[in-house]
Amino acid sequence: MTAEPIDLVEKAIEKGEKLGAEYIEARLVDLKSNTSILKSGVPELGAIFRSKGIGIRVLKDGGVGFASFNEMTKDEMNIAVSFATKMAEASGDKRTNKIAFSEEEIHIATYQAVGQSGKRPLELSPEEKISRLINLDKIAAEVETGAIVPFRFFQMIDQTEKKLIITNEGARIECETDLLQLFGLIVAVNPTTGSKEQLMIQKGKAGGYEALDFWKIEDHIEKEVTTLGKIVTEAKEAPKGTIDYVVGPNVIGIMCHENQGHPSEGDRILGREGAQAGESYLKQDMIGEKIGSDKVTIIDDPTLVGSYGYYQYDDEGIKAGPRYLLKEGIFQDMLHNRESAAFMQTKSTAAARAIGYNREPIPRMANTYLAPGDFELEEMIEDVKLGILMHNFTEWNIDDRRYQSKYVGLEAYLIENGEVKHMVRRPVVETTTPKLWGSVDAVAKKSLLEFDAATCGKGDPMQGAPVYHGGSFMRIRNVEVR
Amino acid sequence: MKVMVDKLDTENVIDLTIKKLQELSFEDYILQTERSNKSQIRFADNQITIVKNWASMDLGIFAVKNQKTVAVELQDLTSETILSSLDSLDKLVTSLPPNQNYMGISDGPFSYPFIDELSDPDLIDFHEQALDKVTASINAAQEEGAKRSAGVLYWDAIKVQLISSRGARAKAHSTKYEYTIRSFIDDTSSGAEIDVGRLSSRIDLEEAGKKAGRIAKMAVGGINGSPGKYNVILAPKVAGDIVAATPAAANPFSVEIGLSWLKDKIGEQIGPEFISVYDDALLPNGLGSKSFDDEGHPTGRNVLVEKGILKGFIHNTSTARKAGTVSTGNAGLVYPQNTNIFFEPGDHSFEELMEISKDKPTIYLTNNWYTRFTNYADGIFSTIPRDGMFLIENGEISKPVRELRISDTMFNIFGNIKAMGKDIKQIKSWEVSTPTFIPAVLLENINITAATS
Repeated sequence: MTAEPIDLVEKAIEKGEKLGAEYIEARLVDLKSNTSILKSGVPELGAIFRSKGIGIRVLKDGGVGFASFNEMTKDEMNIAVSFATKMAEASGDKRTNKIAFSEEEIHIATYQAVGQSGKRPLELSPEEKISRLINLDKIAAEVETGAIVPFRFFQMIDQTEKKLIITNEGARIECETDLLQLFGLIVAVNPTTGSKEQLMIQKGKAGGYEALDFWKIEDHIEKEVTTLGKIVTEAKEAPKGTIDYVVGPNVIGIMCHENQGHPSEGDRILGREGAQAGESYLKQDMIGEKIGSDKVTIIDDPTLVGSYGYYQYDDEGIKAGPRYLLKEGIFQDMLHNRESAAFMQTKSTAAARAIGYNREPIPRMANTYLAPGDFELEEMIEDVKLGILMHNFTEWNIDDRRYQSKYVGLEAYLIENGEVKHMVRRPVVETTTPKLWGSVDAVAKKSLLEFDAATCGKGDPMQGAPVYHGGSFMRIRNVEVR
Repeated sequence: MKVMVDKLDTENVIDLTIKKLQELSFEDYILQTERSNKSQIRFADNQITIVKNWASMDLGIFAVKNQKTVAVELQDLTSETILSSLDSLDKLVTSLPPNQNYMGISDGPFSYPFIDELSDPDLIDFHEQALDKVTASINAAQEEGAKRSAGVLYWDAIKVQLISSRGARAKAHSTKYEYTIRSFIDDTSSGAEIDVGRLSSRIDLEEAGKKAGRIAKMAVGGINGSPGKYNVILAPKVAGDIVAATPAAANPFSVEIGLSWLKDKIGEQIGPEFISVYDDALLPNGLGSKSFDDEGHPTGRNVLVEKGILKGFIHNTSTARKAGTVSTGNAGLVYPQNTNIFFEPGDHSFEELMEISKDKPTIYLTNNWYTRFTNYADGIFSTIPRDGMFLIENGEISKPVRELRISDTMFNIFGNIKAMGKDIKQIKSWEVSTPTFIPAVLLENINITAATS
């Protein structure tokens, strides 16, 4: 017999306690999502995704077991709870240092982060969604750039997720979140030389279709594609040697995410992601150590209203707030769930996120950004003899300890004797994390702060988490460019 | 009329779905059910961190009306959700303009090839054995000198059923396992190994543990490498990522959206004459092996590269008709997908690869990660070596090096293959999502950069 999902969540807790679970959490996730795919103006697919399932996690005898199911029957629930409990026991039995969860304040709460009336994902008509997307493609195809734009791909995904988390400690968190995501891949080609450049656009926000207006998406696409055309037709070779960089919100955001967010994850520092996402150059005993200059304060804050990584309570029911990963250059907070916090004899920083009913909650970023300073952008540029103003990036990567990274610029300009000159092609910042943060000597004011959306990959099976990252502008001195 | 069904079995789901699709006058459809049981053991610091199990019943539908293409994926299979989702699909299909790229799905009925070694009943109830095997693997790494190991063992049993409006009727039952172990002596001295397949009798996690431990030990005392041009020997794990990337880019969908560097390259020499590569769905024990694709079209063995010449792309029915050819049996729901990528092996031992390169500065990469592109259409990329990386001098491994990056183009990688090893390994890993059968590969004149002086 099928059963009401909420009853199953409650019964799962009872069942786990009967089986002797020290801790059991049951998480019901009801996800409704719609996708539109447009390939060079042709609607390749309209798709609907519906998922409802329950994830069970149990701590017993120093081990952890997890099981999930999507057929809403009492039998499936009993099998899942029994499996998770049995496997927690069996694996805990083999452990010498037992897993524990940190002691935390228990919360009962309900919250929503949803779109405006009439703009919510399931309310807006498919016609309106697809016609707006087709118009974006038209803008990209027709804008006068001096280049041709033969490759265009757009994907828009909306979703409404309802989640209920209950634990045997008394936590009960109910939330409903709408998310909108727009992805674009556009390639411009110089008609004379055949030279190409690609632009990836990723926008995301909590809420509904009002986000497209918030992004001024038509203007944004027109501006970005125009710039892309200029890059393939006008940009000159970037200078080499030891030069300065002034980088914009898009570049700062990815640097904050990759060079400081990931290495601050408690599970990575403990080696729990060693075989997949890797470990960290940061260690527990480095808390309080100077990593960057005084100008560098990097915050991860899940509670930024309307952000793509928004949440008020994490997936272990812990109340979220800002985490200072670097404060004036000093390593301060880690991203912890209750497991990594307990190993380090500290408290969770409410970073536990599980992307889907069938995933375990692990430490993740939410919205990571460089705190603004008080410089004007012009002020930062006028003090540069030879450098590059880099607005955004194409290629990037970083080693799995998050120590040596590479960022390749897309829209970038030469700075000479304090003046912004012509466009330069594919400038590269290839440097280590301490060198990067240690070389920042100026950060621009708050009015220039902007965020980009991304899907952060971590975990096995993969958990693609919606995140924001951003900043204003920052100046990096003396970068060696080979 | 609302049909009430309790816990739905597969046949109920299929009957209910087809009836509703027909009632809504969809002209063509493909539906695929998947009932799966998947498990995983993760470990770190030599101890098990979590054991997981996923039980799931899923339904995927691709449907067409007036040349408009829509799809639905359901992980919530109550009759109410199925019916309401199909009503939503019908509303969606009326709102879309026609998909001019859609040119039909494959016409059945079909008979399907038999593939050996696809499933093993012993992998269904495997948890107790799995815990012991993982423990043995960790111990084996420690015996080689590893201080700590992290990793994951995943295994599953999946039943798939497919029905199309064009007469395809297919069923499959498969199992598989995937294992990764990464061992550390210290923070920067590590080694990794994988073991993947479909049969429990082939599982050898202990050997994987030994290899990971051995590489980690060899990596101790590494010094920062110098940027420059090098010959590079890639272990199969690395070759499965950056060498196999080129045959994997032989996909018309990727070409059309600018995610492939092979536009207009069919018929061109893109690699040396001793390189031949296939998309082969029929390999015994292959993780990508299957007898039918997502249209229910029979799969097969398709040549991608022959004697270094790009011979063709993989196709579904629509991309094939558009290109004036026939489906290769590689349909995914939206775009063509590889099954297994298979490289014809060379005839060199690993020692011989080192010997061939003895007069040039040479680096041996055992693993890599984070491959990213400046520009897919030109194949400009970089990737980061991970775990043991070694300088080869006088035809032998001489010392461990660190902190380097390959920054080059995919044309150079594939075009500069100097020699192929003879021992093929099946790769599927964090970086390699398409199962790939490939040996160690020697590349010449590859650009290496560094973040550190």
